[in-house]
Amino acid sequence: MGRTSLRSREGLAGWLFITPNLILLALFLFVPIVWAAILSFQSTKGFGTPEWVGLANYSQLMADPVFWRSLGNTAIFTLATVPFELIGGLALAVLLNSVLPARGLFRTIIVLPMVISGVASGMVAVLLFYESNGLVNKVLTAIGLDPVGWQSEGGPAMMSVVIAAIWLRLGFNMIIYLAGLQGISPELYEAAKIDGASRWQQFRAITVPLVGPSTFFLLIMNVIASFQVFDIIFVMTGGGPQDSTSVLVTYAYRNGFQIREQGYGAAIGIVILLITLAFTFIQWKSNRNRDLVE
Amino acid sequence: MKKRSQRAVQAVGLFTASAMLLSGCAGFGGGSAEDEGSLTFTAWGSEAEEAEFRDLISQFEAENEGVSVKLNLVPYDQMFSNIDAQLSAGNAPDVFRVDYGNLGVYSSQGQLLDLSDAFSADEIAEFTPAMWEAVSFEGTPYGVPHQTDVSALLVNTKMLADAGIDTASLPQTQEDAWSWEEFGDVATQLRASLPENQYPFVYNWQLAGAARWLSWLFQADGTFTDGSKATIDSAEGERALEFTKSFFDQGWVPPASSTKGTVYADSLFTEGTAAMTFAGSFLVPDIDYLTKFDWTALPMPRDERGATDLGGNALVASKDSNNPELAAEFLKFMVSEEAMAQFCAATNELPTRTALSGDAIEFAVRPDIMPVFVDQAATIEPSDVKQLTSPVMAAVNTALQDQLEAAFVGGQSTTETLANLSAAIEEAAN
Repeated sequence: MGRTSLRSREGLAGWLFITPNLILLALFLFVPIVWAAILSFQSTKGFGTPEWVGLANYSQLMADPVFWRSLGNTAIFTLATVPFELIGGLALAVLLNSVLPARGLFRTIIVLPMVISGVASGMVAVLLFYESNGLVNKVLTAIGLDPVGWQSEGGPAMMSVVIAAIWLRLGFNMIIYLAGLQGISPELYEAAKIDGASRWQQFRAITVPLVGPSTFFLLIMNVIASFQVFDIIFVMTGGGPQDSTSVLVTYAYRNGFQIREQGYGAAIGIVILLITLAFTFIQWKSNRNRDLVE
Repeated sequence: MKKRSQRAVQAVGLFTASAMLLSGCAGFGGGSAEDEGSLTFTAWGSEAEEAEFRDLISQFEAENEGVSVKLNLVPYDQMFSNIDAQLSAGNAPDVFRVDYGNLGVYSSQGQLLDLSDAFSADEIAEFTPAMWEAVSFEGTPYGVPHQTDVSALLVNTKMLADAGIDTASLPQTQEDAWSWEEFGDVATQLRASLPENQYPFVYNWQLAGAARWLSWLFQADGTFTDGSKATIDSAEGERALEFTKSFFDQGWVPPASSTKGTVYADSLFTEGTAAMTFAGSFLVPDIDYLTKFDWTALPMPRDERGATDLGGNALVASKDSNNPELAAEFLKFMVSEEAMAQFCAATNELPTRTALSGDAIEFAVRPDIMPVFVDQAATIEPSDVKQLTSPVMAAVNTALQDQLEAAFVGGQSTTETLANLSAAIEEAAN
């Protein structure tokens, strides 16, 4: 059998393997994206006859203060969650990668929120941050502090959703970092110890650089997740009080499904897509560690 | 060759199975029945409502041989996004439940079956005029008023007594209902006696309930639209807004109970955070089950007149139903006198037929307080209904959520709030 024929057969096999995925991606990802893009140029309630309005939805977006507030809140939420999720995930992974007693139990507890739906976790968080009767305010009152307006004041409301989001995502970050840590050869640490490196020096000079690919992956995943945060905010604050926790996805949902301005909601969705793509592209281009392997 | 054809058969089989699976998924939550004599019916419902729906469906099937009605119950939160998607895909259920606020959107967009031929003038006259108005758009009926539900004021009698309020002389009828000023006095008295973390009352305008604020506007004898223009920016609008803003300024209501609050008012009442709550009669069974204290129901306060919110739901048929005659017949059956009496008695909801008003229905839970709700329902006027069921209502509800919250807890002025609401109403109307 000639080399060309073998290569084309391999190519064909490759295409056959990837075809089911491509079909599913096309059906459930690319078609809806194109559909949403078309919808964003229309004025429609989802049923009845849609009206083609060109760029009207986008020009309305530019002049909509709640959209800009939601964009700002999304950025604040991202900045407030992602660093803690990365640092916390790595710290927990290092801790639970060591000879910690009952580490299996601790890993389970940290990973547990991952297997619960976002809505259910949000409900748990509501019980904790419930302003009049919640656990957090009860504890604060018990130790002599004033209760916090988690549901009636903008700052504390944002803080409550940030805390809940970090709690929810730490487990995922820890698992990815654990996998990364277990790929680092113990000989490197032994050599460092022989050279007299302290634990902190080992962490800085060996652990942090060698989990670089994990950090790159998690940075992108966490930023995308933060830009697409919905369930926890929807359940905990509904975007309030006074839009102080309104983010792009809750605002898109509000327009698309509550006010039934589906074209306008789709335009917000397309903005989220573009921002996410732009961020991923910049990260991809600027991060040199992404393919670093030991 | 044989092997290849076997593979081809397998591939075709797999494709067919997948297609069948996907087409099955497409019918999620509904889909018009194609069989002659069968209907699909989508609704949400409490346990008591579900039991009554099933029982009435069985009665309808028994009375009509060969007919079957498939009930599909979905959570309320998903109800209208599902229905919207199904209408847009052309596979809406034959019959579905809809609240009066959402009905206007569907009827004005030509999505519902015109029931003009199904009801004679005499049959229409058997319904409360306001409720028939609620299912009509430009004079054409697009559904049947299945039940209604209005808010009244529930009070924790012990908390009131502890504050020095004479609970033996609490108002029980519309004639002796508190005026706004008297209601304010009671709230002030409660505020003075309650600890800081408890509140005189809580209003039920959270979680898509912002339109219930309009009860105060109607009590002040105001309106929010005349059909084409916004009329909310008026002396009556200003009075209603100023009074309801004072709930927060005076510390009468929990600060987190504004229009964008995420906790229902009745929860704050049952847990003892608020001494009084405004609540619909459909909540009476739940509140009765959850509370360990004595409570009773009072009429809503009055200003220039009495008013309350238009709760409850209609039943409608999709205009694309394959069995429109049968769908209309099923709707007629569901609002027949016997069916309505049975449904309302079991669910503590209010009837929409005049023959069933007053004490004609023996309610299952707390029948002692239900006359207050029945009385309260009579304060809804056809002009209120016309506004509350107009196609702009869904957008008005969202504007009320945003603007009232800004006024109540965000310090937005009354002038700006009314101007913004006016703009939102006019934008939705055009």
